[in-house]
Amino acid sequence: MSETRQINVSKTSVPKLALLALGIIFAAGLFVVGFDQGHIFSLVYGEQAFTDLYIHELTHDMRHAAGFPCH
Amino acid sequence: MKTFLFIIIVLISGAFAGFVHGTVNFAIVEPYLDQAIGIENQNLFATGEEEDTPEFWVEYEGYRTWQKGGQILAGVILGVSVGSLFGIVFALSRNSLPGSNDVKKSLVLAGIMWLTLYFIPFLKYPANPPTVGDTETVVLRAILYLTFIAISGFGAVGFYQLSKKLQNNKKLLALLGYGVFISAVFLAMPENPDEITAPMNLVNEFRIMSVLGVTSFWISVGIILGLLWNRLLTKQETPQSYS
Repeated sequence: MSETRQINVSKTSVPKLALLALGIIFAAGLFVVGFDQGHIFSLVYGEQAFTDLYIHELTHDMRHAAGFPCH
Repeated sequence: MKTFLFIIIVLISGAFAGFVHGTVNFAIVEPYLDQAIGIENQNLFATGEEEDTPEFWVEYEGYRTWQKGGQILAGVILGVSVGSLFGIVFALSRNSLPGSNDVKKSLVLAGIMWLTLYFIPFLKYPANPPTVGDTETVVLRAILYLTFIAISGFGAVGFYQLSKKLQNNKKLLALLGYGVFISAVFLAMPENPDEITAPMNLVNEFRIMSVLGVTSFWISVGIILGLLWNRLLTKQETPQSYS
């Protein structure tokens, strides 16, 4: 007489696609708040973006408060 | 695990925690930023770079309004960003974290990441208000700060992997190992090159407020991700069963 044994293993593996997407979001967000000195807008507005520093000014207070180096 | 739901939960918890961080900063850090920028302005007038005119103050108020409003938005952006890293690490380490439920596990991880990614690097390179910090050295300072954070973070992961290979009563050696390792890095890394000319009580009070703000983020992200995970993701797991 045969006996059926079934094992359902808990499936907690993390989807790699999700990790990749979150990794990209992490890097992009960190760049915006911690580092951008006009780099992102320069893709559209060229050199002027390095003078206007819109994102830098927008994130300026958080940059200081969160401990990132600033001028 | 459903990929989409996992991503949404992580992003929402990061955004909310970032909103809390931005709001706390708005309440407790902004007065110090205003004081520090006030000193910067006086220096500009003293050196003749700017003139104390009504036009100057109109322009000043304009960009300060932009910066203050940006505090909240930047908090959400930073929250989504750092929250994403938190979500990645939590998903990978959840089964090994101590705690009887997801909120406790999540808070334990938030505490570990606060210590290794924020507080220890902060002790070496503390936050500074405006008036401290030379524009010429901003790239160097950013590289030093990020390098320290990366070394501390990867170091913590490395010693955690080592602890898994050690027997129960030797696991503490890994913790000690991280302590020795990060102390050596702390001493070896160069100092912040900028001289502080602003009043030290202003700088110190600003730093305390900065720590409180960042801490509010880590506590919030720990609680919110833990709660959402517990409610939305835990139930989907198939429990182990034998027949």
